[in-house]
Amino acid sequence: MAEDLVLDSAIRDWVLIPLSLVMVLIGILRHFVTKLMRSSQPPDIKILKENQVVMRARNLRTCANLIPAKSFRSRRVYFSNEENGLLYVPKGQAQNPQAQMLTDPNMATDMMKKNLSMIIPQTLTFAWVNFFFSGFVAAKIPFPLTQRFRSMLQNGIDLSTVDVSYVSSRSWYFLNLFGLRGLFSLILGEENALDDTQRMMQMGGFGFDPTKSNVTDIMACPIPSEEKLIT
Amino acid sequence: MVGFAEEGELNRLESQVDNGGGGAWEYLSLVRKLKVRRSEKVLKHGLSILNDPKSRSKLGPDEWTLYEQVAIAAMDCHKLDIAKDCVQTLSKRFPGSTRIGKLEGMWLEAKGSWAEAEKAYSRLLEDNPLDPIIHKRRVAVAKAQGNVSGAIELLNKYLEVFMADHDAWRELAEIYVSLQMYKQSAFCYEELILGQPSVPLYHIAYAEVLYTLGGLENLNTAKKYYASTIELSGGKNTRALFGICLCSTAISQLTKGRNREERESTDLQSLAATALLKEYKQKAPAKLPSLSSVLKSIKLPF
Repeated sequence: MAEDLVLDSAIRDWVLIPLSLVMVLIGILRHFVTKLMRSSQPPDIKILKENQVVMRARNLRTCANLIPAKSFRSRRVYFSNEENGLLYVPKGQAQNPQAQMLTDPNMATDMMKKNLSMIIPQTLTFAWVNFFFSGFVAAKIPFPLTQRFRSMLQNGIDLSTVDVSYVSSRSWYFLNLFGLRGLFSLILGEENALDDTQRMMQMGGFGFDPTKSNVTDIMACPIPSEEKLIT
Repeated sequence: MVGFAEEGELNRLESQVDNGGGGAWEYLSLVRKLKVRRSEKVLKHGLSILNDPKSRSKLGPDEWTLYEQVAIAAMDCHKLDIAKDCVQTLSKRFPGSTRIGKLEGMWLEAKGSWAEAEKAYSRLLEDNPLDPIIHKRRVAVAKAQGNVSGAIELLNKYLEVFMADHDAWRELAEIYVSLQMYKQSAFCYEELILGQPSVPLYHIAYAEVLYTLGGLENLNTAKKYYASTIELSGGKNTRALFGICLCSTAISQLTKGRNREERESTDLQSLAATALLKEYKQKAPAKLPSLSSVLKSIKLPF
């Protein structure tokens, strides 16, 4: 069980290096394709205005004690009165951003475009790797690992006797797929289209409604007393 | 805003370029990055690059940025023919571009053909109605024609959408002051203070508007803002020191009969007066007598 496998140097020359190279090239290609497909949609006046209102309200909230109390009160009414306040959203009318996303076809196509540019090359390369390089060991990592890593490193070879530090070709593909982000940010700059983490962050922010939290904040904001004003 | 270190770098580069030491492109890039207005120098050094085909082609795609920069500098220096050449080169290279459209509008402005410029800008606005720069240019056109009420109207309309734009608020505040509409101006300055609370210039401008409005309450508030200006500027603002003295005098005149708060206000007042005297002694000893006579005339103890 412990005997060393001898890896043919042809495997290195014809599998390991080409596979990594292809992954990098595909990543770069994908970057440019997404860049091409990204539609520079004109900013929507409603969203733009909303953002500006929120920004101004936030300023008001943080610097409330820097202006006279009278001015602050009039602004607070302007933002949050119940008739036509800019930030006032009647109860129940507040649109769920997820529902909003479904109704907005533009957003949906945009998402689809992004996803397509992710999925298509990924399935193609996966099929390609599966077809040509499946089922053999392509590399060995220089340190021992526990059995838990077997499914990660030896995807595609069902041999329980091989030492875990050997990496199968399909696993090498996966390692490249997830591990090249650092390289891409070096090659393509920080703002590359391939950064999945950022997209995740955006997804995480979906349930959050900035307007709502601002209304409550402003309402809760104490009226600054005259003493608080910088004297 | 330009930081101290950046300005030092800029001045160093400028003198280097002026003395023929090279680095013109670096200087121009820095000017662009810091958004400073040194049009004459930009025009001179930018043209020297543009007129030399070898150094121009060395820039690659940045060549067009330089054309834009030189065009604007030329308009600023009223070298209309140079500006026209630059704009024409650009519009030949990028037909139908909004950015070049703006330049053309600005050239028309510089020429003084307001109606045509206005037409050009409204045509651009049809394509992208949310371009803040075009809106601002239209305000500038109205203001340059002396149509101040039109400028106010346009600015208000602009601020309805872009209500977090400090520069627009500041412009509006200054226009209102020029029309002596102090209440409206005070509102704008409040907005500016909210947006950028650490800029002493807004505090002092607000204080001055309040002082001009008059009334006991406004004067008291004005004094506070003069004080905050001094605090924010590290005690260096002479104008604010004078402001405190004037405010205190005005307040004491208004509250002559009532004997409230008088104590505190004289404290601040005499502090400001001593600070003023000290500063004058250090920097302009020749003007010291006139300062003391001024302070005496507003009945300040010192």
